Amino acid sequence: MERYRVAIVGSGPAGLSAACHAAELGVSHVLLESAPHCANTIYRYQRGKHVMAEPAVLPLRAPLPFDAGRREEILTAWDQAVNDHRTNIRFNATVQSIAGERGDFTLTLADGATVAAEHVVLGIGVQGNLRKLGRPGEDLPFVQYQLDDPEAYSDETIVVVGAGDAAIENALGLVEQNRVIIVNTRDEFTRAKDANSQAILQAIDDDNVDLECFYESTVDRIDALEDGSDYSGQLTLDTKDGKAEVPIHRLIARIGAIPPRAFVESCGVRFPSDESAAVPEVTAEYESNVPGLYIVGALAGYPLIKQAMNQGYEVIEYIEGREVEPADTPLLRQKFAAIPGGDDVPATLALIQQRVPMLAPITQLQLREFLLDSEVHAPAEGEVLFRYKDYSNSIYSILEGEVEIQPGNPDDPKTPRTSIPLGQGQFFGEMSLISGRRRSATVVAGRNCIVIESSRRSLLTLMYSVEGVRRVVEESFLLRAIQSQIAPGCSTDDLSEVVGTATVEKFAAGDTVFREGDTGDCLQLIRRGSVTISREIGGREIVLAYVPAGQYVGEMALVSDSPRSATVRAAVATETVRLEGTAFKRLMEQHPDVRRRVREVYKERLTEDMDMANRTQSGNIISFLVEQGVGEATDVLLIDESLCIRCDYCESACASTHGGVSRLNREAGPTFANVHVPTSCRHCEHPHCMKECPPDAIHRNANGEVYIDDTCIGCGNCEKNCPYGVIRMGTETKRRPSLWTWLLTGLGPEPGAELKPKKKEGDRKKAVKCDMCRELDGGPACVRACPTGAALRVSPEAFFEMSGKDD
Amino acid sequence: MHTSFLTHMNFRWLRIALLVTAGAVAVYAWHDPIGGPNGGTWVGYGLGGLGAAIILLLLWYGVRKRRFASNAGTVRGWLSAHVYLGLALIVIATLHTGFQFGWNIHTVAYALMIAVVLSGLYGVYAYRRYPVQMTANRTGVSPQAMLEEIGSLEQQAVELADRIDDSTHQIVLRSLRNSAIGGGVLAQLRGGRPKKSEKAEARTEAMLEEKNRTLVASLDEIKQREADRIMRAESTMRFVAGQLSEAQPGQQVARIRELMDLLGRRRKLVQRLNQDIQHRALLQIWLYFHVPLSIALLAALSAHIVAVFAYW
Repeated sequence: MERYRVAIVGSGPAGLSAACHAAELGVSHVLLESAPHCANTIYRYQRGKHVMAEPAVLPLRAPLPFDAGRREEILTAWDQAVNDHRTNIRFNATVQSIAGERGDFTLTLADGATVAAEHVVLGIGVQGNLRKLGRPGEDLPFVQYQLDDPEAYSDETIVVVGAGDAAIENALGLVEQNRVIIVNTRDEFTRAKDANSQAILQAIDDDNVDLECFYESTVDRIDALEDGSDYSGQLTLDTKDGKAEVPIHRLIARIGAIPPRAFVESCGVRFPSDESAAVPEVTAEYESNVPGLYIVGALAGYPLIKQAMNQGYEVIEYIEGREVEPADTPLLRQKFAAIPGGDDVPATLALIQQRVPMLAPITQLQLREFLLDSEVHAPAEGEVLFRYKDYSNSIYSILEGEVEIQPGNPDDPKTPRTSIPLGQGQFFGEMSLISGRRRSATVVAGRNCIVIESSRRSLLTLMYSVEGVRRVVEESFLLRAIQSQIAPGCSTDDLSEVVGTATVEKFAAGDTVFREGDTGDCLQLIRRGSVTISREIGGREIVLAYVPAGQYVGEMALVSDSPRSATVRAAVATETVRLEGTAFKRLMEQHPDVRRRVREVYKERLTEDMDMANRTQSGNIISFLVEQGVGEATDVLLIDESLCIRCDYCESACASTHGGVSRLNREAGPTFANVHVPTSCRHCEHPHCMKECPPDAIHRNANGEVYIDDTCIGCGNCEKNCPYGVIRMGTETKRRPSLWTWLLTGLGPEPGAELKPKKKEGDRKKAVKCDMCRELDGGPACVRACPTGAALRVSPEAFFEMSGKDD
Repeated sequence: MHTSFLTHMNFRWLRIALLVTAGAVAVYAWHDPIGGPNGGTWVGYGLGGLGAAIILLLLWYGVRKRRFASNAGTVRGWLSAHVYLGLALIVIATLHTGFQFGWNIHTVAYALMIAVVLSGLYGVYAYRRYPVQMTANRTGVSPQAMLEEIGSLEQQAVELADRIDDSTHQIVLRSLRNSAIGGGVLAQLRGGRPKKSEKAEARTEAMLEEKNRTLVASLDEIKQREADRIMRAESTMRFVAGQLSEAQPGQQVARIRELMDLLGRRRKLVQRLNQDIQHRALLQIWLYFHVPLSIALLAALSAHIVAVFAYW
């Protein structure tokens, strides 16, 4: 059996870098790669894709080159480096198990061979290996598991196995020039996106398209054909009517990938939680809980190529017993400039963990990563950190000094003037983070205060991977939500009983929170999402009101001791905090203030509901808009079609103010009673687009706009993730059509026309979406350009209030 | 639902226009120059200057509405001012003439101005009337979707007609080829297709109806005959017979019904699409008068001013 000092699994950026560095140092090593080439994830990118080198400030310290550029250039440069360093790389070597510990690991490969190593570096990423058919013939040369270019094949009979988006897109791409048979194990295409499943069904039904579908069928076996016929093989299918034999030229199976987690766990590595986003815990030296087993790259929670390459270099240094100052130390030193003694990065890190309990349970690496994504501020006394109604959603931890929280609207005379001091080690800002809504308080800095402001994404990552952080943040949210919404002036002790009964409940869009006529045994504080309140009137369910996160429902039954007077449903995916009725009633008995407040809300709602019940039309509009997902919007573009003259100046205004690319499609979208919802960003409370943005380029700023900054790498994830189709890929141009040239001579494009970029500007596409014209004074250009006043941008609450008053 | 350009800021521009008009009327009534009121008195020059200034402001609307990044008021406000001040112009300019008209450049400018205002008035009418009708007619289906649906119905109809028999196929093809969507300016404004295509379609449907009737009437007879033929047929003829029996009259009747249904659905959709095109045409056609007329007005106005000062 071969024996090495280091076995590196996976030849991605991290693995390659580690292997090249080991080769450079003369450390005996082997790099095991299951694909027949390096860097399979990048290899699978589409041809010519531009790969970004974020974060730009981080220096690269790997023995192989990496610069932003085209996929091909990068792969060629890496192959070159692997050769130059005489790296010991073994392709087609799928590792099936890793056993042992430091000094004595045994890696078993799929072909039965074993490799012994003193240390193992796991850099297998999170994409997983493509799932194979698992039937005889799965590795025949004409059986493939991916398709780079559908146009590479013509006049063949090709079987596509699978019913997901990849399979459908491949089948539809191939059918232009081939005969295609798609094999679906089920009787419908439910796993795919709507557009894809509709397109495939249409193609199957269309007699002019040479596409057939075998439903409820699975692959039994594949045999090579050498009978002199044109076909390369024969596929045997198990169909619901028995076996079917199909002569084929090619088989393409798109049946997904196997997530690497099960494999990683089988090596003895522990994951901190069951969340799919969770990553294994590793030490500052990238060592997992299995001694001698190191984890680097995306699998360790570092999805960016440059970070992964640096880690590959560092991990070899650590294995060789050398100390390396991590590449991010100079960056952290800069960040810590505001902290006395911030020059000493390790000491400052220790100080932060010691002072901020929320950050105590996390590893050094997580802390570094978290702080790289944070800002340290030393605000002057009296400086406002954020204001009531701001839309920021970062979270702050107090490293030193004190801040003052002033909840509620400072301009509203009804809001009690209270302020809550917060001291060292505490954190604030979690309310907006969890509810996705505007700030509920103004926060002012005290004397000598130092705060750490961290981004929404890094805290969420932390909450998913470290149970302790999640618990601290959630408990604090619960208490503060009750304090600010229901019981201001009550101390933590006063509320302990109610908080003790509180549980978090989750509802999918359309789920019933409680039903009219039920006994009212609890109060539901909405912590994210929104709900509609409806009542049965004349045999039909009429929506009476829309209640966003931050408010509560269910007080009527508790105050009046009667059954529920209305039905409450989740308008979008919603989470509530359920407070038990008995405990809550006791709280009201002990605190007349609380009782008075709840009663006020109760009275207000009662009159509102009675008004609404007489105006069913506005109720219908609410339910229509809620169906359109407006419930999760913070600001939605609506068009009053009774005023819209279809001039499309809104679109022109958008294109004109955004580099010739409009982010708005007026015509598209549904209409109800003259209210039209065009395809335009709604700036969701919890933006779906933010979910998987590799460079974290999507942000929300204080006024609420969700926008994409310049670091967009054009990967298209946000476009796919947006359920409302409001993000498109486009190239902005600096060209500005001249109004006078056009007006007087008719030459050149009209102002507001969609423009193609100039040659020298390149044609690299980036994601573009509505940014509410945040860089222009006076608000969204689409609304300001509407000659008749048909277009308006409103928050759903404001709109519902408006439609309630009108008719 | 909310504010339109007519009600913008609680009728701010209506109020301003009324104020200006009332002021003009008052000054005009109060002033009693020697030789009667005309453009040459100081009131006449004042009203003329005011009118010219308003005309320039109204013309600037065309520039402002294309300056998308501009912050000089909202376009809605500009349109509101455009409408009300434009109407006020009728009074101001008429007073400016002192009711002296003749066959000269001055009256041409006046006439052009009135024409521009009237075409604008139609515009206001169109902007208030057609958007609602348009939405009602579309019932949430976009013109693009209608067009696609029409295409798919046509394809189905042709395929079905082909399976019925050759003559039906020919007739359906011809009928589909004849019917127009959109068309020239006049056709768009009329919102319908040429009478010819309406007639062709009616003929096709009548023909199909007729065919169906005959088929249904002779169904039993034909059935019997077909059955006899199949019974008599030689074994080599079985294949053909099988095909014939597949195309038996009962099925034929069902196909013709389906075809008629397809054609009917298509015709309704074509009507709706043409209606939509008509709406769009009606919303835009007036601009083809309003804008060139205002350019002509600008020219005539310049000539008027130059003439007045040249002959002073």
